[in-house]
Amino acid sequence: MGSKHKIIGKPERRVDAWGKVTGRAKFAEDYSVAHQLWGKVLRSKHPHAKILRIDTTKAETLPGVEAIVTARDIPGSKVFGIVVKNQQILCEDRVRYLGDGIALVAARSREICEEAVALIEIDYEPLPVISDPEEALKPGALPIHGDKNEFVHHKVCKGDVEKGFAEADFIIECTFKTQFVEHSYIEPEAVLAEPAEQGGVVITGSVQNLFSSRRSVAEALNLPLSRVQIIQATLGGSFGGKDEVMTSMCCRAAILATKTGKPVKMVNSREESMLESYKRHPYVLYYKWGAKHDGSITAMEVRCIADGGAYASMSPFVTWRSVVQATGPYCCENVKTDIYAAYTNNNYTGAMRGFGSPQVNFAIESMMDELAAKVGMNPLEIRMKNGFENGAVTATGQKLTHTVSLKEVLTKAAQEIGFEAKWQKYRSLKSGEKKRGVGLACSYRGVSLGAEGTDAAETIVSVQTDGSVIVSSGVTDMGQGAQTQMSQIAAEVLGITMDRIQFLNTNTSRVADSGPTVASRGTIMGGTAAKNAAEKVKTTLLEVGAAMIGCDVGSLDLAENYLINVKTNERLASFSELCAECFRKGKPMMGFGWHHSPPTSWDEEHGQGDAYFTFVYGANATEVEVDTETGKVNVIDFVSVHDVGKAINRGMVIGQMCGGVAMGLGYGLLEEFEIEEGVPKQLNFDEYLIATAMDVPRIRTIIVENEDPAGPFGAKSVGEPTNELAAPAIVNAIFNATGRRLYEIPANLERVLLGHKLTRTGKRGSEVKANHG
Amino acid sequence: MYIRVVSVFIRGKYSMRLFEFYSPRTFDEATALLSQYGADAKIIAGGTDLLIELRKPGAKTPKAIIDISKISELTGIREEGDLVVLNALTTHSDILRSQTLQKHASLLCSAASTIGSPQIRNRGTVGGNIMNAATCADMVPPLIALDAQVTLKSRGGTRTSSLSEFFVKPYVTSARPDEILIDIRFPKPPAAASSSFVKLGRRNAVSISRLSVAAILHVEKNALVKEARIVPGSAFPTWQRVMEAESILVGKKPSRELFAEAGKKVAEVMISITGRRWSTEYKEPVIAVLVRRALEACWDN
Ligand SMILES: Cc1cc2nc3c(=O)[nH]c(=O)nc-3n(C[C@H](O)[C@H](O)[C@H](O)COP(=O)(O)OP(=O)(O)OC[C@H]3O[C@@H](n4cnc5c(N)ncnc54)[C@H](O)[C@@H]3O)c2cc1C
Repeated sequence: MGSKHKIIGKPERRVDAWGKVTGRAKFAEDYSVAHQLWGKVLRSKHPHAKILRIDTTKAETLPGVEAIVTARDIPGSKVFGIVVKNQQILCEDRVRYLGDGIALVAARSREICEEAVALIEIDYEPLPVISDPEEALKPGALPIHGDKNEFVHHKVCKGDVEKGFAEADFIIECTFKTQFVEHSYIEPEAVLAEPAEQGGVVITGSVQNLFSSRRSVAEALNLPLSRVQIIQATLGGSFGGKDEVMTSMCCRAAILATKTGKPVKMVNSREESMLESYKRHPYVLYYKWGAKHDGSITAMEVRCIADGGAYASMSPFVTWRSVVQATGPYCCENVKTDIYAAYTNNNYTGAMRGFGSPQVNFAIESMMDELAAKVGMNPLEIRMKNGFENGAVTATGQKLTHTVSLKEVLTKAAQEIGFEAKWQKYRSLKSGEKKRGVGLACSYRGVSLGAEGTDAAETIVSVQTDGSVIVSSGVTDMGQGAQTQMSQIAAEVLGITMDRIQFLNTNTSRVADSGPTVASRGTIMGGTAAKNAAEKVKTTLLEVGAAMIGCDVGSLDLAENYLINVKTNERLASFSELCAECFRKGKPMMGFGWHHSPPTSWDEEHGQGDAYFTFVYGANATEVEVDTETGKVNVIDFVSVHDVGKAINRGMVIGQMCGGVAMGLGYGLLEEFEIEEGVPKQLNFDEYLIATAMDVPRIRTIIVENEDPAGPFGAKSVGEPTNELAAPAIVNAIFNATGRRLYEIPANLERVLLGHKLTRTGKRGSEVKANHG
Repeated sequence: MYIRVVSVFIRGKYSMRLFEFYSPRTFDEATALLSQYGADAKIIAGGTDLLIELRKPGAKTPKAIIDISKISELTGIREEGDLVVLNALTTHSDILRSQTLQKHASLLCSAASTIGSPQIRNRGTVGGNIMNAATCADMVPPLIALDAQVTLKSRGGTRTSSLSEFFVKPYVTSARPDEILIDIRFPKPPAAASSSFVKLGRRNAVSISRLSVAAILHVEKNALVKEARIVPGSAFPTWQRVMEAESILVGKKPSRELFAEAGKKVAEVMISITGRRWSTEYKEPVIAVLVRRALEACWDN
């Protein structure tokens, strides 16, 4: 089957690899121009306060300062937001979290910026700090925006849960909690904003979602979209994290550039980045299931509260994915799910790889194991009993018409690790210093944006007169490999080798608004657009070829850089000759590919609909060793199985799978961005601990390919599903080892040993030291 | 010797912090500079602690930074009769690979192997680890267990100090600003003694000690403990042998129960010194376990 493609499915070298390994890749901070100024933000001193007075006079007189800007100087909209417009570019009268900016400085050096910022005087009137979303939702809590802190309530309603609970033999009720998580992209935020020759601005930056950032800059500066050009610099990681925080930085730099008439560069230090940037939502999850002794589930009732932090950001979308997927790939007639998001004075929370699924998956997969324990089944049996099959109907009433491979991925994962035998053995072992355990977790995940929003993308394939090809797209590459996938697709269609393709970083003025590069939609949306674009060019090339050779189009094809006769495989002309001929004949050699997703539907009132046009399935199995005397957990084996539809590039799919597991392992065991009374406790990687190479075991990856007509060459998606299962698999393995379930993550030393978290009071040694001077 | 002017990037802030950078080749040059600048100078060896320190907000910028890494006498590990001598610039990687140390004090090799990552071990020095005096410094508990002495040199001369008396409080030693630590020396433990170092971190690399234990156990031919040394790390404000626990072992037959008893004693002593704190609920049982394990590891050798 694989042999039908020349390039699709092969582990082709990444198109961005060479630049990155030689250091030639240009990240945003690498861009500098003549007469450039530096820009800096003055951030709040309080997590929640009224601003009584802003005095910039002293700072203005500092030599080398070229502009000081406050909210009043913003000509257009002072706020932005994709769903709810309430995020302040600069705060005028109130700050809502510590990352809020109040004033901007543009100066001739970083050092002068630093000094100037220190000279700006602000008088605050501190307001009560709300750091707990459940407190925020209580009647009488001080509203952080408008008249109440609840800003999202999504529902799913199916059947009748009361009836379902009445039919149940027993009920399981558990409360779970998840934490704030930092994206930990290796490159902190950076932009260079330059006044454009004909008015407007040109911004080069580490931006993930260029089109939404562009819209906000245009609104802030009262400019038409055509006068705001955002060029994507090669991105040093994003994981969903370079959206609003970059929009805000783009707006700020653009305002300074416009005001001074000079280029302005802004770069966040790691500490500034961690302080200001948005995080993964912490959830409190109340799960209640009714079930029968045979293991079937009669009712599922779920209530979750997401901490939205200071601004709405992507919360409405993130929690919408949670509401759709909150009961997992399991059959149940009676479902009631309510998900709320609340404003607090914490860092705002938004998009992050997984996008609302890691939290609910942790709860669902823990519940599944609880259910297994109650009815005396093993974790695999209980999932095989309740899991979706072809034609299943989801909690939102959607009938699944693609290949539902849940049981295939589950079985493969379980077999690969030897799950059932190990599970049986480990649970019956008596106490010991080090105990082993195995754990399983699986999921289904909606592909792309779904009924969240308009879902369309553009890719342009431009064939040059010498037979080389330039591809560009509105879908951005932030390291995940979108450029390589799209190049492979274009090369496959055009019958050329990869070395002919040059991919350009996204530029908002050169391609159509393709929506955000989120929701694992790069390949399925950008890739399908690439296929459409390449097919258009191919049609033209074959017509020109037919005229040149004097035969009909049907007898021709493109393969291995040649125009060939399909019957004899005879090489009739080189691809380059064909392109030159095409140019001589004055034919268009550029293909504009557009892809609009298949329809989806959503009834917000009843929480029913065809939420996503297709789904992917994945399963993780892991073996851990728990040190029962210290609480240290070592992950010693890991199996990751994902149905990706079709692997366009096997190497990159495996890369996604391993990276996703490493990130998910950190989520399950290590990572926790702690915020106390609105004040973050870790601002760098000395204390915010992510997994190292020594914490991640060898990962065995199994790619399952049930091609889906919804994607190019049958491909679906892989980026996010790989990151949503490791934590529950690990926690389930800990349960198998110790017989004790953890309801909160990360499963750090204290939680595993004591069953609860310990909170530092007072200062740590290094802080004491800093104060010594 | 040469001088450079360097601007340092400080935590979240960019302020011009200029200092003079000296790179002396000899002791005399170095001690002369130190006596000239006194407390305004800062020594840099591997820089893995100092650079982080300088980036901190509010950190005082020294007027001069004196790079001692070019002084060749400061490197190397050697035996001097009954003593083992580590020169101050010995890196953790050097220690980890040293045959001499493998033979006479393998706990130092174990401790060095747990430090940071290969990059940090290649740069970080034992001298820097001691002089920085963080409570989580991993080389210190083993060296105190080995009864090490430090040699300090200044323009005025050379003096020695026992390592266990060298520390005043976290991040403070009794060295004067004009002194260079030149070497660390310790008597070879009896051939029949064995040693171990156990470290507990939150992750498996680039992880500071949550708790650690260095232990040396000397069991005689008659199968009774002749001498035991136990030094916990990250447990006390400064390091010390826990004599109360060591004495439980002396004259007894080694057993898991005996080691566990010694562990409980260490936990007790820890609480008597630090009082009950937010972390005690965790540290109390775990330090006891680590002591037991460290002793078991000695016994297994
Ligand atoms: C990522 C990372 C991980 C780390 N992991 C660990 C770990 O696991 N365990 C651990 O214990 N440490 C760890 N460290 C800390 C550090 O690497 C070690 O303490 C190292 O041994 C310090 O040595 P250095 O030569 O780099 O010291 P430097 O930074 O050069 O100096 C440290 C201090 O000692 C002074 N100094 C240095 N040498 C002398 C001398 N000969 N005489 C007088 N004063 C001197 C300096 O003035 C400075 O105040 C880590 C550091 C980093 C950055």
